[in-house]
Amino acid sequence: MTAERCREWRELLGAHALDRLPADERAGLEAHLEGCAECRAELDSLAGVARLMPLADPERFGAAPQPPAALGDRVLAAVESERRTGARRLRGRRRWRLGLALAGAAAAAAVLAIFVLGGGGGEGAPEREVAFHSLPPGMEIDTTLVPHSFGTEIHVYVSGVRSGTLCRVFLRDDAGRRASAGSFRYRWGEDSEAVLTSALDLSNAAAVGIRVGKRTFEAGV
Amino acid sequence: MAPGALSDERDVREAYAAHAGELFGFAVRSLGDAGLAEEAVQETFLRAWRAGDRFDPEIGSLRTWLFAILRNVVIDLGRARAARPRVAEGGVEPAVEPIDEALLGWQIEEAMRRIGDQHRQVLVETYYKARPYAEVAAELGVPEGTVKSRVHYGLRALRVALEEIGYDG
Repeated sequence: MTAERCREWRELLGAHALDRLPADERAGLEAHLEGCAECRAELDSLAGVARLMPLADPERFGAAPQPPAALGDRVLAAVESERRTGARRLRGRRRWRLGLALAGAAAAAAVLAIFVLGGGGGEGAPEREVAFHSLPPGMEIDTTLVPHSFGTEIHVYVSGVRSGTLCRVFLRDDAGRRASAGSFRYRWGEDSEAVLTSALDLSNAAAVGIRVGKRTFEAGV
Repeated sequence: MAPGALSDERDVREAYAAHAGELFGFAVRSLGDAGLAEEAVQETFLRAWRAGDRFDPEIGSLRTWLFAILRNVVIDLGRARAARPRVAEGGVEPAVEPIDEALLGWQIEEAMRRIGDQHRQVLVETYYKARPYAEVAAELGVPEGTVKSRVHYGLRALRVALEEIGYDG
């Protein structure tokens, strides 16, 4: 097979990969492919691209849409605004505490009663921040564990999952037993911190876990 | 802080200048709405900035990381299905999520914008419009064999362009 002859066949490979070759030429090309490893390799490399072609919309081959000039400024302003409010992941926590301060009289009284009747237990021990690592890209989970005499208060900050996702939170003790802390739904676009409690004492907790949709993540305390 | 992390605003500014155009293009493609796409791009850079210390250039490029975040944002917006790309007559229906289908479609479209006009033209006429080679050849005033070889070199150019924008299939 001369190189020139091979080139003639090779230039039909694109049409063949796209299944747009008339039957007579296809028969000839297939015979050539039997004996030409180079052309077979070339066909393979084009076949992957050819398979994707139906996914494209030819009406979108013109100029790509460009973001408005103001979007860059908005992104930077949003980053600046988060930076100014201090440690970004603490933003939700602060807001929650403010919310607690403003909460209805009944709720405030109930919290007060717990603190007054509290006494020993974990009360007074320092709170713990536990970050989750090895998460999928763009996903974030941070927790703060606050010891109380009645158990452990758990502040959970989640971002980067589908809005409406059910999240179940639990603590795990040294023996591997789970103590549920309840559940919440993550809502995108809102401050996504939830506050839950578990009856397990923080001093007995080995890990905090959260089941987000169908995936479970745990972090050692 | 890892090198390459989006740790300060200058990093965000540079990442935006380098990648916002493509991210926006894909967001429009998958959400079918420019306003939502703007929201998605803004949320992507905010999440990237918040999680900047988790970006590891050893694992992948910043561009790949940003696309992975945008993909999650689009899923969060729950609209991927609304802009399902159309599948050409007789085409295969791949067993992938709509969002990934949209990403592949967008990659082909982006690659098409990067190849030469002559190559794109014959691919559109003979493949997408399914016109006979003879008809296209007559219209262009070239032999039929030239149309076929342009299809071939056009497909090769498309493959190279796809590799440039991260396709590794």
